Amino acid sequence: MMKEQKLPPGFAIGFSLVILLIVLPLVMTFLSTSASQLALSLSDEQVARSIGLTLSAGAAATCIGLLIGLPAAYLLARFKFRGKAIFESIIDLPLVIPHSAAGIALLLVFGRKGLLGGPLSRLGLVFSDRPAGIVLGMLFVSLPLLINAARDAFAAVAPEIEHSARVDGASPWEVFWKVTLPLAWRGVLSGAITMWARGISEFGAVMILAYSPKIIPVLIFERFQGLGLAAATPITALWIFLILVLFGIVRYLANSIDR
Amino acid sequence: MKRLICLILAGLLLILPSSACAPKEKTPLVVFAAGSLMKPFSDLEKAFESANPDIDVRAEYHGSIQVMRHVTDLHEDIDLVATADLSLIPQLMYAVNDPDTGKPYADWAIAMASNKLSIAYTPESKYASEINAENWWEVLSRPDVKVGLSDPRFDAVGYRMMMVFALAQKETGQATLFDDFLRDQFQRPVRLIDLGDQQIIRIPELLETTADSRIMMRGSSVALIALLQSGEVDYAFEYDSVIRQHGFERLELPDSLNLGNPDFEADYASVTVRLDFKRFKTVDPVFKGELIRYGLTIPSSAPNPDAATRFIQFLYSEAGQKVMQDNYHPLILPMTVDHPELLPPALQEMTG
Repeated sequence: MMKEQKLPPGFAIGFSLVILLIVLPLVMTFLSTSASQLALSLSDEQVARSIGLTLSAGAAATCIGLLIGLPAAYLLARFKFRGKAIFESIIDLPLVIPHSAAGIALLLVFGRKGLLGGPLSRLGLVFSDRPAGIVLGMLFVSLPLLINAARDAFAAVAPEIEHSARVDGASPWEVFWKVTLPLAWRGVLSGAITMWARGISEFGAVMILAYSPKIIPVLIFERFQGLGLAAATPITALWIFLILVLFGIVRYLANSIDR
Repeated sequence: MKRLICLILAGLLLILPSSACAPKEKTPLVVFAAGSLMKPFSDLEKAFESANPDIDVRAEYHGSIQVMRHVTDLHEDIDLVATADLSLIPQLMYAVNDPDTGKPYADWAIAMASNKLSIAYTPESKYASEINAENWWEVLSRPDVKVGLSDPRFDAVGYRMMMVFALAQKETGQATLFDDFLRDQFQRPVRLIDLGDQQIIRIPELLETTADSRIMMRGSSVALIALLQSGEVDYAFEYDSVIRQHGFERLELPDSLNLGNPDFEADYASVTVRLDFKRFKTVDPVFKGELIRYGLTIPSSAPNPDAATRFIQFLYSEAGQKVMQDNYHPLILPMTVDHPELLPPALQEMTG
């Protein structure tokens, strides 16, 4: 346990303002709604379905992210190659472009008449207004968070450990699975959680590619725009509450496995 | 410490130009308009601002019902409201009092312009060479045709296109025309109750397309334009003016169906759209089939009603009329208003 220290006042003021900035709006959404409205939202089948869709699409995006992101992260952590800095900037691009722009870019490639979307739709894989489009939008905007976290985690594993495993006859693949990943898993897991969290909160990119079926961010927007503040606040409060509980649990589990 | 100060200064440098660009002495004029007015009103904004350099027009475009909600529900500071359905202003603004003043949000409305519904498509749309004014409902009901609709709960094109299908069913005598198009497309069905001389369309409170629906639904009709351009949908219901502004292929519907010809008002009136809203009581409008008329008003809560008055004067000036003409969306002239005596004095002399 860390011993409590007296906080220097200048820093403490900034710190309190930061906490207030985050907590106050969240608390207001709860104060603006009632328990009965919350319960009503929870029993609203559209909301319930949307919650399930949002969480599962986020999980699917994260799984795909792990599948394609971990090899990329490992390469970036371990190898020197030409143009590496450029590739690293490319991976960060989704973090800096507006998400509505990301949605349009995705639509041009994965839309029904898009570069890949056209041929894929003939094979039965449709992205526009389909769950696949939601997963794709979430994946696009949140993948850099996983890759960067995993890259740092892999980089923190001493190369000598991998090297000695190689000397003992392990293949690079075995080294990755049996040595590096087990040592780096905490950072990777934390990256995956962050990616999932970012994915399920995505609005702009998903809305352009797959407005429907509606994930919670789109549903909140639609109810706010079309049915008003009173219709949107209960789902907003419900969703914030769910996310707080969910991330509380995930963080607790992640910490407790470690011990 | 020095570095930190440098960083903060650099941050300020980034902020400065943006604040310098927003001249503080200009009066803001906040305009909330129906999405279908986006093109003409953007042109008007430019012309009006160059003629009135002391005013900064800030326009936002939404589905017509959404426009109303920004005034009466979100209490935003809005100076001028323009909707694609005149009847929404009495329904949603006359009937609601501003809690700050105890007065209704509006007490007059100008019937600004008309329009008609048409079907937009592109040369690449499926069956583009086949579709015509006699077979459009059948083409739109084919399983491989994607159709863009705006949400009838939020947008005037949305409920108006439902009326078009009901009118077409009555006119052609094809008893399943409406259902053929909408059957299995929504998780809870949109129903047409045919009472012979009266047809009632019931829209469920939760309107969601099914997983493999042919229909792509968006909050406002102008949101369908991008879907049409990207090929996501083959056809979309739009206002005639919007289709011409964007240069799409245009299928004109017969006057008996397109809600744009005053000679057919009595026929249009046989259809009603009802929203089955149980929970969201704040909206409970009933949409009667009628001639499309756009409505214009200055909310009683407007912070700058004088600037809004000047905008309306400009709209009805020769320059303003021309902008609307050029956008295939002519004004109804002379200015027509339900309660001329309640208009701002500067506008009263303009009424016919």
